[in-house]
Amino acid sequence: MKKRFTWVVTLIALISLLAAACSSGSDTGSNEGGSTEKVKLTIWHNFAGDDLRAKAVRGLIDEYKKNNPNVELDAQAIPVDGYRQRLSTVAAGNEMPDVFFVYAGSQSQEFYDAGLLQPITPLAEEYPDWKANFMDGAFDRFEFEEGQIYSAPVGLSATSFLYYNKDLFERYNVTVPTTWTELMTAVKTFNDNGITPIALGNKAPWVAQSTILGSLADRVTGTEWFLKAVKGEASFTDQVFIDALAKFKELVDNKAFQEGANSIDNTQAEQYFIQGNAAMMISGAWTLTNLAASATDEQMAPIEVTTMPAIEGGAGAPGTISGGAGGGFALSKNTEGAVKEAALDLIYAISGPDGQKAIAESNSMVMYKMDLENANVSPLYLKAFNVAKEAGITPVYDAYLSAEAGEAINNGLQEIMMGGKLEDVAKKLQDAQARSTQQ
Amino acid sequence: MPSSLRARSFVTLALLPALLIFLTFGIVPIIWSAYYGFFDWSGLGALKFVGLDNYEMMLQDPIFWRALKNNLILVASAIIGQVPIALLLALLLLKNSMFNRIIRSAVFMPMVLSTVVVGLIWGYIYQPQFGLLNTMLDMLGLDSWVRAWLSDPKVNMYAVSIPINWANIGPYLVIFIAALQNISSEVNDAAKIDGAVGFRKLFYVTLPIIWDTIIVTIILCISGSLKAFDHVIVMTGGGPAQSTELLATYMYNNSFTVYRYGYGSAVSTMIILISALLIGLNYFITKRRS
Repeated sequence: MKKRFTWVVTLIALISLLAAACSSGSDTGSNEGGSTEKVKLTIWHNFAGDDLRAKAVRGLIDEYKKNNPNVELDAQAIPVDGYRQRLSTVAAGNEMPDVFFVYAGSQSQEFYDAGLLQPITPLAEEYPDWKANFMDGAFDRFEFEEGQIYSAPVGLSATSFLYYNKDLFERYNVTVPTTWTELMTAVKTFNDNGITPIALGNKAPWVAQSTILGSLADRVTGTEWFLKAVKGEASFTDQVFIDALAKFKELVDNKAFQEGANSIDNTQAEQYFIQGNAAMMISGAWTLTNLAASATDEQMAPIEVTTMPAIEGGAGAPGTISGGAGGGFALSKNTEGAVKEAALDLIYAISGPDGQKAIAESNSMVMYKMDLENANVSPLYLKAFNVAKEAGITPVYDAYLSAEAGEAINNGLQEIMMGGKLEDVAKKLQDAQARSTQQ
Repeated sequence: MPSSLRARSFVTLALLPALLIFLTFGIVPIIWSAYYGFFDWSGLGALKFVGLDNYEMMLQDPIFWRALKNNLILVASAIIGQVPIALLLALLLLKNSMFNRIIRSAVFMPMVLSTVVVGLIWGYIYQPQFGLLNTMLDMLGLDSWVRAWLSDPKVNMYAVSIPINWANIGPYLVIFIAALQNISSEVNDAAKIDGAVGFRKLFYVTLPIIWDTIIVTIILCISGSLKAFDHVIVMTGGGPAQSTELLATYMYNNSFTVYRYGYGSAVSTMIILISALLIGLNYFITKRRS
């Protein structure tokens, strides 16, 4: 059955190739030089929304289209929620678009393993300054072979800023926590005064893992231990990870989060926070964008941003933020010749210096070093960008874990919030991760 | 003979397109997914034949059993909730008065709404801080009943089943009204002459006549509840910690969140088997009754 399917696909591909050959043949016939030959290029991305970043990226693509009239560009903007599935579906049929947005981490790895990508190293050779200007670790998840890069990140997904409401901290005379003890004091004081200490919307269960656990556990276990555990050289059932989960449980037990955090979504939690019902919110850079889009200037004024507090006695460095390269544009293995040239140009048009600046000016984080003091960005964004520039970046759990293990810890954190046992959660995570490293 | 043969071949010909569509989009995918169920496959890369391993893993996974239990809760709530309520409403709203029509439309309305809308509306009703339900309980002085309806694993499955029932009563109401209106007036007149009124008429005349319709609605309830998916995915996504996981969301999460396509296919095959079993069971029970 599979074979027959492959046959049909090949046949269709052949026919379309033939058609393409014919049409380009007639094109060159009319334009002697052949340099105006129409190149057909497809790009898929998930910048489909109405937010500033999506508009910025779409703007870059439109500009490329305008500057390259010889390229017939078919750009598909697919909503974020369905994007992974859509791409996986065409990947299964080996019908990838020429250029596509790929998430850094498990998705890019899976595509590389399935032999669907080819390197964009020619761009790095052509523009060495451009490559040198990226922040440390920008290519960690895209450098599958020594010296070959398969994509360049167009974003920094910083997942664990500590946002806080300055006014509430002043009103109740609480110091902004820099240590765990201070954080617990703050939690208690706010609870005594009927203010939710930390807003959390964990209905989509990745939220607590991505925003809180990544940073929290890194402070307890250190980055090195985590990377070992991912490879199977340490176990998530180790005491040190149980201790990290215990810190999360301590937050739950002290009612740091509002009631029913598991059934409201992240956006609702952001609203709850910005309306002054909660004193803090631990969230990613996306909250900057969401708040900028929905909150009034008055609501934004008291909001400050910092890193999560240090944990006394932990093995990890304080002042870090969990995050990573936020995905970039990759090139399909099947793209060759003139189409490949055009595709590389398109990738540079989006991920190059001008593209990075345009994305930064849409108030979203990039991994590209530049001066934004005079750029057209919001004050809160500038604060966050400067915090991120200074802070070390530590791994986000689900970017390194297998998809199954990521799901296990996501559900595990919800279980802890419902009173589940730490050891059980750790064991499920370990089992799921072990299954994927065996393969 | 030839004319009847011609008629039959015409019928066959006329049915062919529909049959073809049904086969390609209804039956073939079922066979394909049953086939994928024997493989370890991430959706990308090579398929690895594993025989019945996926099924074995499924039967050993406590989450599968929880999903099945949740599905059975839904089936029970649909049979206890939707069918009797729809029947009662049909009996009350049988006459074609203006008032009855308005109420009928109101009952049918949630069916017309997109399930996503229904899920979102009830999500807000159940919202723990400012949701309608908790605010109302507060106002009535029932503070002790206030809870996070969709988070608390003790109640969230029941909380989720209410909107599903609410949204699905409409079509059954219409089916029952149609069945009741089909009862010929002679039967009603004869019952009246024999002095069968009220409950006596209901149990000895009306219900036996529409018994077949009731069986059909129960079958629809069972199959509908077993493939329930959209309301739950909108309201809870199967969470928290998979406490409201249904077979369909379990299948979805395995295939599309964790990328175990082979395992997900095995689960969907299992859903078909369980539906067939329950519907067969229902068939035997109700057959004996009649």
